[in-house]
Amino acid sequence: MLLSVENLDVHYGSAQVLHNVSLHLNPGELVCIVGRNGAGKTTLLKTIGGFHAPSRGKVSFKGQDILGLPPEKVALKGLKYVFQDKRVFGELSVRDNMELAAFPTKEPLSEAVAKLVAIHPKMEKLLGSKAKGLSGGERQILLIGRALVGAPELLLIDEPTEGLAAIIIGQIVQILLSVKSKLSMIVVEQNLSTVARLADRIYIMKEGAIHREITDPEIIRQPSLYENDL
Amino acid sequence: MLQSIFYGLTIGGILYITSIGLSLTFGAMRIVNFAHGMVYSVGAYGLYYLSHSLGLPFLVAALGSLLLAIPLSYVIERLVIRRLYGQSIDYAIVATYAVLLIGVDAIKWIFGPNPLPISDPVGISLNLGFLEMPVYRLIIIGLSFLIFVGLSIFFKKTIVGKIVVAGLQDREAVRSLGINIDRYFAIVFVLGSALAALGGVLYAPLSTVQPYMGFQVLVLTFAVVIVGGMGNFRGTAIAAFSLGLIIALTGRIWGPAAEAMVFVVMAVVLIIRPIEV
Repeated sequence: MLLSVENLDVHYGSAQVLHNVSLHLNPGELVCIVGRNGAGKTTLLKTIGGFHAPSRGKVSFKGQDILGLPPEKVALKGLKYVFQDKRVFGELSVRDNMELAAFPTKEPLSEAVAKLVAIHPKMEKLLGSKAKGLSGGERQILLIGRALVGAPELLLIDEPTEGLAAIIIGQIVQILLSVKSKLSMIVVEQNLSTVARLADRIYIMKEGAIHREITDPEIIRQPSLYENDL
Repeated sequence: MLQSIFYGLTIGGILYITSIGLSLTFGAMRIVNFAHGMVYSVGAYGLYYLSHSLGLPFLVAALGSLLLAIPLSYVIERLVIRRLYGQSIDYAIVATYAVLLIGVDAIKWIFGPNPLPISDPVGISLNLGFLEMPVYRLIIIGLSFLIFVGLSIFFKKTIVGKIVVAGLQDREAVRSLGINIDRYFAIVFVLGSALAALGGVLYAPLSTVQPYMGFQVLVLTFAVVIVGGMGNFRGTAIAAFSLGLIIALTGRIWGPAAEAMVFVVMAVVLIIRPIEV
């Protein structure tokens, strides 16, 4: 098992936002977490990534307890977080964004840039451009490219297709599927048709808890069979 | 008029050098750092002690003063500032204000409460007939320009600079890459504090050194940071020189209103562009 989350409780002040959440991820799997706004999906992902401290529970990555590690140490262990809202470093160029990703991993910048260009060749022409000038889709691709630097084994990707046009969503899905053979992913996604194309397994979250797990590929490919569970 | 503009540029230069560190700590760490005023005073008093008490040449004393400020600011960062990351802004105000008060009292205890004079280290003026320019003030303007260029290169071309620029925008995203952003903010904090000490060093010969000089510069530098934008390097430079000119030109018309005009400008900026803390 690559990742194991057991009995996670998270509070914001006195309000409990995650209730006894447990899930797991096997090597090579792409698991989608779906649910309505406020279901606790992002909080769960951020807790795994080290950005939130849970009040109870356990998170193990490759058999090692990573709970309590700061996010930068979690990242260096090979578990990379890709934020929602296309959070690129806008004042820096695309190349600088990649340089920052390469710096802590000691990966040469040329190799880091090659990874970005490999997932989306058009990025080569944009390397010198400021990241704030990129389109939403290009920003998302840059974020995925940044996360691929080093030797990550697990990506936590929060809402990668949010706010994107259908054609761009198709490109993002293709990119995620193309890197799937090299690493595992947990993707928080609200767009169920995207989930149907991506997921090996699905966790449905409701009111801060895992409401249902779907493992049957036949069901996964038919969102109509689980959209009422959201 | 030209004389006032020239003096305004000198004030702006010192304000810029002193403000840049405050802008970074405010912008990057969301910490209101009153201890910045203390480091500024230490720069000035360090210069006084090394040049007057020990008799060292001005340049050596200035350099020694900066070297004194670096470990001091490192200690402040490790013992006070680092514990304030992510905490309520109130804690930062109380804790750093306490550091400033301790510094002021320590200065009064060591040097006494009275103002101490430091003479112009150059003592030469260029007389163009219509304008008399003390060379020392020209050096201050030139040095502030060089620091602006140097910092621009630092933040654009070095990895530490790029990390800080990225961290100013999105601290969490930098951490998600595996970078311990606090370490780089600490480097920049020390750099900014050293610049504050340099501001104190440069200002001392234009006036006198006195225990409360840190308080006086603090209110002006906060105005610069608010007008220029927190963590905005170029904005800080523009605001510092603009406010320097406003102080000098208002002072020419009506002396008592000179510094008050700075706060009028700051108020207008806050009305147009409120700060989110």
